[in-house]
Amino acid sequence: MGLSLRFGLHSRPVLVSNHDTFIDHVNKWNMNDWRKTLALVDLDNPEERVFRVTRQSKWDISCVQWNPHASHAHLFVTASNNKLDLFSWQESNTKPECSMKGHSRNISDLDWSSFDVNVIASCSTDNFTHLWDKVYILFLFTIIICTFFSAGASQVKWNKVTNNCFATAHDGDVRIWDPRKGNTSLVYIAAHLSKIHGLDWNPFNEYTFATSSQDGTVKFWDFTNPRHDKGMLNSGSPVWRARYTPFGHGLITVVVPQLRRGENSLYLWNNDSLQQPVHQFIGHSDVVLEFQWRKSREGKRDYQLVTWSKDQSMRIWKIDSQLQRLCGHDAIDSSENEMSAVDANDAIETEPKENMTDQSLNDRIMYSNKTDSLPQQQPMNLTQEFSLVNKNIPNVKIEEMAVQKRSCKATAVSGKNSVTLTVRFPTNYPNGTIPSFEITESTVNSTRHKKLQKVLVDTAQKFVKRNTNCLEPCLRQFSAAFDKMTLEEKKTPDSDIFPMLQASSKLLQSGLFSAYQDESIPFPRTCGAKFCPAGYLVCFGRSKEAKKGFGRSDVTPKTLSELAVYAPSIRVRSSQSASGFPVYSSKSPPTPNSEMVSVSMYYKYKDRRPRTKSRIKDDSDLKPKDPVKSSKIRTMTLAPVCIYEISSLLTINRLLGEEYRIDLDNIPRMCQHNMKAALAVGRKDLVQLWSLISQISNPNLMSNPSFDPGSPWALNPFGRQMLESLMQYYQQIYDVQSLAMICCVFWSKQGNVQPPVVKPSASKSSLVEGTPVNGNITFLPGSSSDSGWNLLSIQKVKRSNSWSDFSMDDYRFAEDGDPKEKAIKNEKQQHENDCRLLDPSHQAQYEQYLRTYANILYCWKLLTKSAEVLKHMSTPLESHRGIEFGVVCHNCGRNSRGARCDNENCLMLAFQCVICHTGVRGASNFCLLCGHGGHAEHMLEWFQLENKCPTGCGCFCLNGDP
Amino acid sequence: MVSVINSIDTSHEDMIHDAQLDYYGTKLATCSSDRLIKVFDVKGGQQTLIANLTGHEGPVWQVAWAHPMFGNIIASCGYDRKVIIWKETNGNWDKLYVYSNHDSSVNSVAFAPHELGLVLACGSSDGSISIIISTGDGSWDAKKINGAHSIGCNAVSWAPAVAPNALLDQSGKQQPVKKLVSGGCDNLVKIWREEDGQWVEDQKLEGHSDWVRDVAWAPSIGLPKSIIASCSQDCRVIIWSNDGTFNNWTSKVLHKFNDVVWHLSWSITGNILAVSGGDNKVSLWKENLEGQWVCISDVNKGQGQVTDGQSAISS
Repeated sequence: MGLSLRFGLHSRPVLVSNHDTFIDHVNKWNMNDWRKTLALVDLDNPEERVFRVTRQSKWDISCVQWNPHASHAHLFVTASNNKLDLFSWQESNTKPECSMKGHSRNISDLDWSSFDVNVIASCSTDNFTHLWDKVYILFLFTIIICTFFSAGASQVKWNKVTNNCFATAHDGDVRIWDPRKGNTSLVYIAAHLSKIHGLDWNPFNEYTFATSSQDGTVKFWDFTNPRHDKGMLNSGSPVWRARYTPFGHGLITVVVPQLRRGENSLYLWNNDSLQQPVHQFIGHSDVVLEFQWRKSREGKRDYQLVTWSKDQSMRIWKIDSQLQRLCGHDAIDSSENEMSAVDANDAIETEPKENMTDQSLNDRIMYSNKTDSLPQQQPMNLTQEFSLVNKNIPNVKIEEMAVQKRSCKATAVSGKNSVTLTVRFPTNYPNGTIPSFEITESTVNSTRHKKLQKVLVDTAQKFVKRNTNCLEPCLRQFSAAFDKMTLEEKKTPDSDIFPMLQASSKLLQSGLFSAYQDESIPFPRTCGAKFCPAGYLVCFGRSKEAKKGFGRSDVTPKTLSELAVYAPSIRVRSSQSASGFPVYSSKSPPTPNSEMVSVSMYYKYKDRRPRTKSRIKDDSDLKPKDPVKSSKIRTMTLAPVCIYEISSLLTINRLLGEEYRIDLDNIPRMCQHNMKAALAVGRKDLVQLWSLISQISNPNLMSNPSFDPGSPWALNPFGRQMLESLMQYYQQIYDVQSLAMICCVFWSKQGNVQPPVVKPSASKSSLVEGTPVNGNITFLPGSSSDSGWNLLSIQKVKRSNSWSDFSMDDYRFAEDGDPKEKAIKNEKQQHENDCRLLDPSHQAQYEQYLRTYANILYCWKLLTKSAEVLKHMSTPLESHRGIEFGVVCHNCGRNSRGARCDNENCLMLAFQCVICHTGVRGASNFCLLCGHGGHAEHMLEWFQLENKCPTGCGCFCLNGDP
Repeated sequence: MVSVINSIDTSHEDMIHDAQLDYYGTKLATCSSDRLIKVFDVKGGQQTLIANLTGHEGPVWQVAWAHPMFGNIIASCGYDRKVIIWKETNGNWDKLYVYSNHDSSVNSVAFAPHELGLVLACGSSDGSISIIISTGDGSWDAKKINGAHSIGCNAVSWAPAVAPNALLDQSGKQQPVKKLVSGGCDNLVKIWREEDGQWVEDQKLEGHSDWVRDVAWAPSIGLPKSIIASCSQDCRVIIWSNDGTFNNWTSKVLHKFNDVVWHLSWSITGNILAVSGGDNKVSLWKENLEGQWVCISDVNKGQGQVTDGQSAISS
């Protein structure tokens, strides 16, 4: 097929009239008069009677339809770009009757009314749907309806059963109209999430219709109940058209032509069981672009399905009674005698009834353009070819096209690689001679060159054999092949090398088809606000001048594909396309040029809107009066990115973070300090909090580590209970700073806390009697708070005391047997937990407060503060991974990791300085060879003069070599 | 008082689709339809362009900063179906890794909490979500959730690494939570968790009547609840919350806006939500003490104040 991609993709050329025996299609692949010929085919004699009509227009015909009324069956209407042309067909000749101009953009669909001979409806991407009333055959046309939709209609279809009712499809929505009611639609149905490609009324019921959509489904609707569909058919691929069969309860579907996945069949479905298609029409070697029903002859029961495909063949399929029965059509009701006679006739025509696998036989007629019109197919000369090449090839830049030199230079880029190709055309090209391809500059090796050249030559030969021009297809193949090569190179883990090629089968299962287009890509965000952890909010957006596109309701579009309406270049493209959205090659990632799709087009469109339209919506005062140059608009649409300081909105405060002190050695002083800090930032509640903390943490209130006669202070209402209530409040206002500070003070990091053991209180009291009472600390409520006592050290001291106490107890109770011992241990645990001012069962939560607060401090770059807070966590954050030096304790000889010996009985500073013979607490240095070392400053001092180890072990520590 | 502290003219040639400050708020990354990512130094009110990152072949939809412990790293995604990870070394920004295993536009990219390592998730219009993991030795590993959202995935967001109500295990350490939330064209919000190295669907939240445009998992400060915000083409923002060990999410409509809502962001403490949408407006929302969400962006006064400590005691 010598069709270039550009024209081929968008053709929608077949239309069959039920009354007339002509099929009509646009013939535009021909070189001399592409887009200018209209061919009419006599369907009763398809091989012989083909009539061609030459038309003078640079535009493609997007739709064509015969008048459905027998009285006016000689009329047909075509739509090209924004114009409707009415023709009449008389004595093998077409006569243009008139043109109807009213749309401002290309017409996407048209439909003759099935009730009024004179009425045609047409819809366009300009958001209007016009009804044309043709009272006299010539010129009297009136616009009945100007509608102003959210999106241009892709389909307009008259009801087949009742007058004054038609439906339009806009993206995923359907509207039902009554022309008598003017500009408000009767019913609005949000039918699909994706674009609706086709709409068809039920021929037998005035309320029902079917919509076919990009989302791969066909839905059946009853517009009296617009909320729910009556049924849904899932075909697994985007459906281009779904049409009811004129018999029974059937439906025919075809997939969207742009997919080009090799699904060239039509499917017949029975509306009563939508799980599986009942029949498949196999035969076309390329996608089906259009199909229509036709009654084969008056009085016969058989129907014909006429299909027109991109393989440039038209096929007429006979739908016999067997097939009709599959759709629930009972053929028996018609006269039996007549039927048998007709069937006999058909049988003579060697028409197999059931054997659908035999494709060629099944076609009653296969009319192919290819053979028929060969004489006309003269190849273009080079000038023509160059001028018609679509330069918009992914990754390929055409640098030079010289007709005189008969050469063309193009560069393909993929990733880091690029290849420059020079094509030279011999004088007798393309008549049987292929051009020569030479790779002049490249970043890939010669084996790849050979591969690429082979691709080019193969492609060229294929085309030249048919005397067609080959430059554009060659370049496309070249780009694809090159892309594939480089893709293989940068293969990513677990990736398919070429996902798009293998995707079709995979995608079929998962139902993700729309990936090929922009239909499913959300409309880009053009404004937003994001928080930064450090207390900023960054906002970006459009400037005030950038208004949203005109003609929209208040809601911004959903998908990127909707931009197509606004892009000027797309407008031109869609004049060739029925659907009006850009189609990118699925073989390589799309690379939209700046002139193709840009979000700003949506926001700028208003400004370049033609004046004539402003009457529709009087908002002309909103737009800038002066025409501004495009680049200026571009910058105008952007507002500067603003960074806001929002820390005042938060309950945490950076100043407090800086000021707060954690000093558990002197809690009253710490509280005093923090109180001042809180006062300075105006947080009175925190001033109060700190004074409360100071009171609660009074060391005199600390309970005895061994069992007290009374309940510990923590269990007092002003102890844990009050703290919990305080914390609850700070939780509610998300003040993690205060929460973390409370945890720092009251959640000492004394090892892991076992979950509290619940014990009946009776056993506790009985045990208390038997334990020795440690009475050396008395409860002194009135003692001064600034006595300088160290809460932590007290606890520690007590802990070790109690340990020794307890070991004695252990001995004492050892004879009494294990259970009691355990009970006492539990009891002790319980008591310890009770002594804590924070409920140990919420440990994880406290840790999380600390962690979060430390993170926030880190964000504020208060690294020391952050580390201080982390020190109060009882669970280590993350075990250190890497090399760590252990120290052998000089005292007890055990391995130790910290500065202090791990051995509980030793607890000396493990590392002794070899110079001053005291333990090292801070910075230390030691030799990796002999292991001697000590205080960093002592070592520095020593080695400024010496190079041997100070111990006299003979090691040359500074050399580093043993 | 909310005040503008910096206003940067990015000089992008087309619409800006995302702007993101780094962890410390000192660097700003913006991305645009002009295929560029720009990095600015905004420390102390300055606005110096540090780098122009070129490499995307189409509009760039989103950028994300990694945690600073991994260095200065940006991930970006765009219409060209690529995810690019950029790294700064000695002031030069270079591509660290290009992931091109999506079949359609990649709409969202998000780095995982740093506890999980250098990991990022991205959602694409081909319906899948990829989780890209740095193995640490310079190579990258990827896992893909195919068919996460039919028609397309529009947004991903990670759960905080620490579970709000996680109990400590025997060693006293918590396993970091590996969960993420995504929103897509099937009008659903889905929660995913990793189980034995595989990503499985954990929850499916139904509530929106049109495409979900953004999801945001609120940071946790340690409260025993999880909160997710989602926004949609249906102009609504829904707050999903879960307050226990059960996978029982309750939904609450924050507000129905007049236009599409396409962006959400939580403050660091997880109590303020920034909402932005097609009307070019940003509003800030905060939950008050009664649990109602109120818009606070109109009020600029007294936001730093909270009621005094007395009410805390009485409450």
